[in-house]
Amino acid sequence: MRRLDVGGIAIAVVDGACIGQDFERALDADIRLAADTATFSAEGADLSACGRRLARLLGEARAKEIVLGARTFDAANALRLGVVTRVVPSAALPEAVRELTDTLAALPPLALPAVRAAVRAARDLTHDAALAVEHEQFRRLVATRDHKAAVEAFFARRAPVFTGE
Amino acid sequence: MGDNAQTRWWTDAGVGYVVIDNPPMNVLSDENRRGIRTALEEFRGQDVGAVVLTGAGDRAFCAGADLGEEKHLTDDTVGRFLSRGEQTFRILRDYERPIVGAINGWAMGGGLVLALWCDVRVGSTRAKLGAVGVKVGLMASNVQLSRLFPEGRARDMLLTGRTVEAEEAHRFGLLSSVVAPERLLDEATAWARGMAQRPRDAVAAAKRAVNLALEPEPAP
Repeated sequence: MRRLDVGGIAIAVVDGACIGQDFERALDADIRLAADTATFSAEGADLSACGRRLARLLGEARAKEIVLGARTFDAANALRLGVVTRVVPSAALPEAVRELTDTLAALPPLALPAVRAAVRAARDLTHDAALAVEHEQFRRLVATRDHKAAVEAFFARRAPVFTGE
Repeated sequence: MGDNAQTRWWTDAGVGYVVIDNPPMNVLSDENRRGIRTALEEFRGQDVGAVVLTGAGDRAFCAGADLGEEKHLTDDTVGRFLSRGEQTFRILRDYERPIVGAINGWAMGGGLVLALWCDVRVGSTRAKLGAVGVKVGLMASNVQLSRLFPEGRARDMLLTGRTVEAEEAHRFGLLSSVVAPERLLDEATAWARGMAQRPRDAVAAAKRAVNLALEPEPAP
C-alpha cells in the first residue's frame, strides 16, 4: 500500500496484500484504488477504529461484514463493497495513478479542502446545518480568483490556470 | 396540465410529469424553478400518486446553474442565488409524494443536485452524472452525495469532478435502473405507478422517515 498526497488529498494505492495498519491507513485516505491482484484484511488493525471508519465509508452492514467477518477479501470484492472505487489490471496501475493525480493536480486547490469539510459536515451535523456549511464554503469559493479564471477559461474554451487565490 | 417558457407539466393515470425544457443543455432557470413549484402544487389537487421529473431532448437532464449568470455573483447576490436553488430542492424533498428522476443525459453541478433530491433515479444509457463544481473552483451536492452514498464514493466523485456514466452509476446505486433512451419515460412511469399504487399515507411516511434517518441523534 502506497499513500500519495496531491494538494492535501490522500490517495491510497493498493497493489498486493493490504493488512492491519496498512489497511487502517488505506481507509484513512480520501480516495482508494487497487490492482486486481490486491487483497485486503482488517486482521491486526484496530478493529474499533476500522469499524467506525468503515461504517462511514460503506454503511453499517458492510462495515460489520468486514470487521466481524474477519475474512481476507480480493480486489473484486473490495470494489463491490466500496472499499476501493477503482480496480485495474496490475500492469495498468501506474497509468491509472498518473491519471488520477493529474486530474487532482489540475483542479483549483482551494476547492478541494472545502469539499472535504462539507463531506465531513454532511455526516456529523443535521441536514440543515450541513447545508449551511456547504453554502458558507460556496460563498467563499465563488469570490475566489480561481473560480473566475475557471469560468473565463470555460467560455474561451481553453484550460484554466489556477493560482490558489 | 400547464407550461411556461421553459417548463412543461401534465398528469396521466395518477402520475405527474414535469419536463425541464431549456435547450440545449437544460440549464436550470428561474422559469424552471417556478415551473417545478407550480406543477407540484397543481398535482396536489389532481390525485397524483407519484411524479416523474426529466429533461427535454436526449443531451441533458439538467446542466445546473447558468455559469454566465454565476460569473456575475457578488457578495450581495450570492445569498439569493443559493437560497433560490435550495428552495427548489427543498420543495422536492418535502413533497409528500415520491419523485422519480428520469436521467436522460447530463446531470451535472446543480443538475446533479436536482437529481439527488429526487427519491429514485432511473437513467438512459446516455446518462452522465458529475459533481463538476470542483472543476470550476466551487462545490455543490456535497451534502446530498455524502448522505445518499458511502462516504468513499462521495469523496471520489466530489474531489475529482469526474463523469460517472450510466453503467457505473447503476452499479453503485446512483441510478436504480438503466434502459435504452427510447424506453426511459416508460421505465420512469413504471416506477412511479408502482409507488402511486401503494397506500399514499404509508409512502409519504416512508419518505419522511428516510429524509430524517441520517439526522444525528440528540445527545442523551
